[in-house]
Amino acid sequence: MAAVAKTIKVEIKRQSSPDAKAVTESFEIPYRPNMNITSLLGEIALNPKTITGADTTPITYDSNCLEEICGSCAMLINGKAMMACSALVDKLLGAHEHGQQPDLAKTITLAPLSKFPVVRDLAVDRSVLFENLKAVKAWVPIDGTYDLGAGPKQHPQIQEQRYPLSNCISCTICMEVCPQFNDATGFVGAATIAQAKLFNMDPAGSVLKEERLRALAGDGGIQECGFAQNCVQACPKGLPLTEAISDMGRDVFVQQVKDFFTR
Amino acid sequence: MAAAAPPALPTKLKGVQPLRTGEGHSFLWRRLHSLSGIIPIGAFLVEHIVSNFETWNGPLAYAQQVKFLNSLPLVRILEWAFIFIPLAFHALYGVWIAFRGRASVNVYPWAGNWGYVMQRVTGIIALLYIGYHVWTQRFSGVSLPENPAYAFHKVQVELSNPWILAVYVIAMIATCWHFAYGIWLFAAKWGITPGNEARKKFGYVCAAGGTALCFLGLIAIYSVVWKYPNAPIPSMAPQPAGITEPAPVVVTPGTTNPSQPGQVQ
Ligand code: SF4
Ligand code: FES
Repeated sequence: MAAVAKTIKVEIKRQSSPDAKAVTESFEIPYRPNMNITSLLGEIALNPKTITGADTTPITYDSNCLEEICGSCAMLINGKAMMACSALVDKLLGAHEHGQQPDLAKTITLAPLSKFPVVRDLAVDRSVLFENLKAVKAWVPIDGTYDLGAGPKQHPQIQEQRYPLSNCISCTICMEVCPQFNDATGFVGAATIAQAKLFNMDPAGSVLKEERLRALAGDGGIQECGFAQNCVQACPKGLPLTEAISDMGRDVFVQQVKDFFTR
Repeated sequence: MAAAAPPALPTKLKGVQPLRTGEGHSFLWRRLHSLSGIIPIGAFLVEHIVSNFETWNGPLAYAQQVKFLNSLPLVRILEWAFIFIPLAFHALYGVWIAFRGRASVNVYPWAGNWGYVMQRVTGIIALLYIGYHVWTQRFSGVSLPENPAYAFHKVQVELSNPWILAVYVIAMIATCWHFAYGIWLFAAKWGITPGNEARKKFGYVCAAGGTALCFLGLIAIYSVVWKYPNAPIPSMAPQPAGITEPAPVVVTPGTTNPSQPGQVQ
């Protein structure tokens, strides 16, 4: 009995340039167990033919580490924002537990993140996050014209609180899923608020604390948060984002009151 | 073979704009919006529902309550400064907030996301209802501040229409929901309940409080519609005229304790 070739059906929203019209192309890829979305896209690149056999170009997408640590491969997988490298094909096809068979009748859909300008295909321009991190000075100021010496000691208790926040991989998923992150509000998004908290808690970084808190009170700042809490649900690295927003909400408010009376 | 030349970096970013450090006053307005929902609007909502509960004791008791509220000093100024103006601000700014959000419960059907949507839906229901309610009960028909005796009757006539009754019940639930979830949001956003556990526990508190308030309001509706059918317009005359002054205390000279004349301690 000739085995029927097992295939995975994929539909991909493509766009050849930032201003080009988006089109959807369908692909059928030979099934292998334990694939992830990046390896699926790699298969297409090996043999860039659509489901009808027509030649096409390989899909453009961002990826680098392939282990959910560089943050570059976020995209909409079956409509939801996920990391392509940690999104497992078998799971997406319904095989959630070991030994279950994936349902190959299902189609996987891929699309670029919806709230960022498309560069090409699944690659988007996420520089807004970089700009936001710059706006809140999400760094420790250690550059000087002379050797500043060793940094201050950091207590393990502080380290423990900071560590989860330091796991952010700048994937922008928290922004993509946020109902308040859009063109109308220009909301800064959870990642930047969490990073401001991370560096405010750093014994050396806290020197810029007031500037960060003031920055977050500007238009598009922390006040735009509507506490839908999608960020904390979707963050692939499990950052305590709602806690960070709540804490920073208080700190920004206190700073505004202080500034009102003392500046 | 390059399929497309890499795009040149644009000078102004397309898409969502970055944080506007130092620009605008939206932080102040947004925080005022959040606060105004609790003080004074939420406080007034509680007062209003508790006052309405007097309908349980009948038309006369309710009339007394309306009379008492309308005899507060500077009541018309209080009404505008602590009810109408904050309410108008909260409502209009709230609509503006609601229409700038991009709801996504269809893709991400999570509890918090539903809460976000429901806060906007209940807010708009409350706004439409309150606009209607303030017009029919406060600014048209018999003027209740001058004629508190008519209060029960006026509401009863309005609620005799089953459609309007349904609107009142829906609006009562929506308004209490909006208020209770609003307090929860306030605590979360102002950093009063940053921890997950704290937020969860406070969620139960808000849910219990909101449910209790809602029941009080619904009981008042029940009283008006079913408990006192065809309620008469009470005569306010036999009621004692407000507060009576106690008899002045005569102090015997040389006494330190007026209740024990003659004793010096
Ligand atoms: S906070 Fe989480 S979701 Fe947001 S950018 Fe960082 S890792 Fe991604
Ligand atoms: S490729 Fe690095 S996070 Fe997916």
